[in-house]
Amino acid sequence: MIDKLKGLAFPALVLWILILTINSFLGFEMAPPVLWATGAVILFAFAVYVFKMKIFSYIFFRFIEAFLTLFAVATFTFLLLRVLPGGPFDQEKTLPPEVMENIAKKYNLDAPIYEQYYDYIAGVFTLDFGESYKYIGRPITEMLAESMPASIELGIYSLILAFLIGIPAGVWAASRHNKFTDRLLMFFSISGVALPVFVVSPVLILIFCYKFELLPAAMWSGTAYYILPVLALGTRPAATIARLTRASVLEVIASDYIRTAKAKGLSETAVLFKHVLKNSLIPVLTYAGPLVAGLLSGSFIIEQIHAIPGLAKHFVASVTNRDYPLIMGVTLLYSAILITSNLLVDILYSYFDPRIKLS
Amino acid sequence: MRLSLWLVVISSLVALSCTKKQKAEYGLKHEETLKINITSEPPSMDWSISTDTTSAEIQDNIMEGLVEYNFSDPELGLMPSLAKEWTSSNNAQTWTFTIREGVKWNDGKPFTAQHVIDGWERLLAPATASQYAYFLFGIKNATKFNKGEVKDFKDVGVKINEKGQIVVQLEAPQSYFPYLLTHHCTYPVRLDVIKKHGDKWTEPKNIVTLGPYNLKIWDHDKAIVLERNEMYYGEKAKTKNILAYMIMEKSTAITLFETGKLDVQTPLPSAELSVLKKKPGYKENGYLLLYYYGMNTSKPPMNDINVRKAIAHAIDRKEITTMLSGGQKPMTSWVPAGMFGHEPSVGTGFNPGKAKEFLAKAGFKDPTTMPKIELAYNTNEDHKRIAENVQAQLKRNLGINVEIKNEEWKSYLGKLKSDTPHIYRMGWVADFPDPDNFLNLMTSYSDNNHTKWGNKEFDKIINQAVSINNKEKRRSLYTQAQKILTEQGVPVIPIYSGVKHALINKRVKNYPVNVMDRRKYKKVVLQ
Amino acid sequence: MSNSLNQPSRSLWQDSIYRLKKNKSAMVSLYFIIFLCIVAIFAKFIAPYSYETQNMDAILQGPSGKFWLGTDSLGRDQLSRLIYGARMSMAVAVFTAVISLIIGSIYGAISGWFGGIVDRIMMRIVDLLFSIPTLVLMILVKVIFDSLDLFENPELKALTSILMALSLASWVTLARVVRGQVLQAKEMLYVEAAQSIGAKPMYILWKHIIPNIMGPVIILLTLQVPSNILFESFLSFLGLGLQPPFSSWGVLSNEGWALMKSYPHLIIAPSVAMALTLFAFSFLGDGLRDAFDPKMRGRM
Repeated sequence: MIDKLKGLAFPALVLWILILTINSFLGFEMAPPVLWATGAVILFAFAVYVFKMKIFSYIFFRFIEAFLTLFAVATFTFLLLRVLPGGPFDQEKTLPPEVMENIAKKYNLDAPIYEQYYDYIAGVFTLDFGESYKYIGRPITEMLAESMPASIELGIYSLILAFLIGIPAGVWAASRHNKFTDRLLMFFSISGVALPVFVVSPVLILIFCYKFELLPAAMWSGTAYYILPVLALGTRPAATIARLTRASVLEVIASDYIRTAKAKGLSETAVLFKHVLKNSLIPVLTYAGPLVAGLLSGSFIIEQIHAIPGLAKHFVASVTNRDYPLIMGVTLLYSAILITSNLLVDILYSYFDPRIKLS
Repeated sequence: MRLSLWLVVISSLVALSCTKKQKAEYGLKHEETLKINITSEPPSMDWSISTDTTSAEIQDNIMEGLVEYNFSDPELGLMPSLAKEWTSSNNAQTWTFTIREGVKWNDGKPFTAQHVIDGWERLLAPATASQYAYFLFGIKNATKFNKGEVKDFKDVGVKINEKGQIVVQLEAPQSYFPYLLTHHCTYPVRLDVIKKHGDKWTEPKNIVTLGPYNLKIWDHDKAIVLERNEMYYGEKAKTKNILAYMIMEKSTAITLFETGKLDVQTPLPSAELSVLKKKPGYKENGYLLLYYYGMNTSKPPMNDINVRKAIAHAIDRKEITTMLSGGQKPMTSWVPAGMFGHEPSVGTGFNPGKAKEFLAKAGFKDPTTMPKIELAYNTNEDHKRIAENVQAQLKRNLGINVEIKNEEWKSYLGKLKSDTPHIYRMGWVADFPDPDNFLNLMTSYSDNNHTKWGNKEFDKIINQAVSINNKEKRRSLYTQAQKILTEQGVPVIPIYSGVKHALINKRVKNYPVNVMDRRKYKKVVLQ
Repeated sequence: MSNSLNQPSRSLWQDSIYRLKKNKSAMVSLYFIIFLCIVAIFAKFIAPYSYETQNMDAILQGPSGKFWLGTDSLGRDQLSRLIYGARMSMAVAVFTAVISLIIGSIYGAISGWFGGIVDRIMMRIVDLLFSIPTLVLMILVKVIFDSLDLFENPELKALTSILMALSLASWVTLARVVRGQVLQAKEMLYVEAAQSIGAKPMYILWKHIIPNIMGPVIILLTLQVPSNILFESFLSFLGLGLQPPFSSWGVLSNEGWALMKSYPHLIIAPSVAMALTLFAFSFLGDGLRDAFDPKMRGRM
């Protein structure tokens, strides 16, 4: 039973994410008890996996490393912010000195830098990132928690779209290497990245929302609302994934053991999907780590154009508003997502290719 | 076999998860809902603290102040709101407000004068750290209270007298004092509510208000829903609901407007105005915004009055407003069009001949000998177009090369304070429609005067005019002050007075349009 | 001795160039890029008007005999702005690539060559930069550099902050790639051989390792140039692009997209230019990879 659970960890995680995604894509939410229960089962399966594969110490050290990285990121960003010209409370109408003093006192901006730094880091340890300077009285943690779901939804839909299109297209192109299909697919994949999103998205809106009124142009409240942003966000990584898959499939095809498999008389398709694909996914996975972080933290342009209540605007607005706590908050959140997805990808490596040892 | 097992698991999980998410319309009926766009999440619904127009637009519909603008008066008088009437005595240094009776908060509690005092105390208290605290700095001891020098609010010049009236003692005469009370930062508050819920008191389930609308839903970053307040003391709101979306991107919002999903869209992209103008729902109206260029009078060559005059004479404001094509009024004087004190005849207007003369007088007969001049603006499409146009005009009319430089807003503001560029762009939106609000900012002691220019006579006139109640006498003083500013000293070049543009669906009647851009929707009717 | 060791790398080059020449789409792309560079360098002589001359009587006109691609909202000739835009866009893209190449390869080479604790520390710094959201980092750097005045020349002045922001975001990738290549090359026998005859580390680095890692680096660069062009346009979208009155394709497409409904001519021209360039660089990059990748040898 335990051994079975070990093998189940990854399929179950993928399945779970898929179910959640399909649910929310169709406008449903999973009831919280079910969500927690299934989540706990998967977590347990992972614990078993970690235990059975004897990678506990590896994961432990990765956590320590992640922690140190986050600490360094916090320090670096904190220092960078103090170099930034202009203060959070500068505005068109200059404030009288009395008022400025009160504000500085309230936000502890009159304290020496090292004290502010100490206070901040101490806050981070208790997951308290402070209150926003701009959105007065709103805790950063709450703001991030509120804007994360939309970004995560958008990111996961786009990710699935990217893999659904990218991998088959890449395999197909590789199997027709240097033939017309290959050229055509690669042409499409280059056009997928040839124009800025802020040109592509308005064109989509112009066609689907203005001329034909088929889809809503903005906001984030139902299946129909998801289609355009996901298309706009997903095509770019799809194109990259297609190219990566093609290249690595070509490489694997050329390698010896595939020749052996072919010599054994296996059919072309069987070889392609049974042997080649699994082995050529590794370079794609390398790309997936940063991609996941990038997509989950939202896309500024798409969220702005489609009025999606996501995270991405904070990456820009927090800096232009000099909302220091919010800048620190989004930066640390991004780093945490990036580190986690890189860790997952590394574990996935060894899952796909048992020859890779985690240490 | 294994496949079917999986299918069972999946389908049961899907079946177990059956709560529908919130819809974009929030279940509101189209016929009784005005759909507007407030462009972004309001930073704070706390009216003593918030400083931005987005929050103010919502606050103005859920709350009211002691007095209110009378927008049907061309020179913008006031009319009663929570105060039934008010009088001034002692040369506009003492003000007495009589509170309206029978007003109830939407939790049923009666409104009293103490709520107003509580609001002011909270605004001024150092711990609140409200940026708008200076609004009431005219009240006796208010500045000291804000500094923490006076601890007890009883020592501040605000009292409730035996008749239940609010009596305000000012530090010095202020003829415009009641105007301040139209602003959301002076609205009354309910300390009991704030104490009970802390920072969360502005959430819909906690907030207590008394305006024509109630805050029903605040779906952060998505939308706000206001619903008619049936307990409102005055005439009830005509339209039942207001649905305010938060759509930053103008072109997206215009698409929504054109497909009927938004009733009103404002602001409009200025580069596209020439096209939008031809649309049926297009409206433009004057707005008390002064757009100007300031000059650092301590930085050579701008320290030479003749150079400043030459530049002021060399800029054709009309060319700029034509380019903007949004109905902006070219200006040479300081107080914008649409309010008391506007004097279009004053100022240093476009005159290329004179401009060249002044430049020669300054010793630059050959304009190429002119030292480097930097023109700075904060990054923004409109500011950019204007700066590029001014750059081209100065080249054409004076032959001088001006280097333009843009900077991101906050660092631009930092720069204005630390190292003011030769020429910089700035704007001023009226806090209240009194010339003092505009002219005061160029006094030698004003924090907003980045030009380093100061004139004792100018300062004296401004101080004198504020204590006079006679309108015509004030008018002539302000005209004199504007002459000193824009004809003698010329530290500033007024460019135009502002305009607001909107697209309004034809089913919307009585949409509030006024020079202060206050949007109170209680009279809006949907057809 | 060292001469004969150099032999294979030279023939590798010749071999690669031969294979590149046989790749038609890559060669067409190469010619297009050369053409683009000529346009960019000689913009002054090619453009019919100046990029900054405003004409208030001819605002937002469609294409005509006088203005081949129409005019923008300040009455400036769109074709001239497009040609000067090529200059700025290419400058941003190429200089960024070069700067990140220099910093990235020096950093990566040092890290890979010395290995051990040096490598660890240097790679941790790279990880750190990777973990900060690119967007935040770029805006911060852009704002900080904008507030400094480093150059007198207006064109350089306009470029510096963008170059800094973009290079900072891209040198990290290059450093990682170069480090990986150096590590690989170090493993190879001939380095050991060279070391055993007592050659100095710097000499080995220059003579043996750098030629070997040129291939992947060149490929990476051709892939980075288009992404730099896109990133520059993204900065324009954020309002952090080039200082006016300079134009770049990013500036132009950003001015154009919002007016797309009313004035489509403003968006079509920069989009087409940008797309063609990106295509050219991608095809060239693919061609280079095919040509330089030893595994592909003999399979074309």
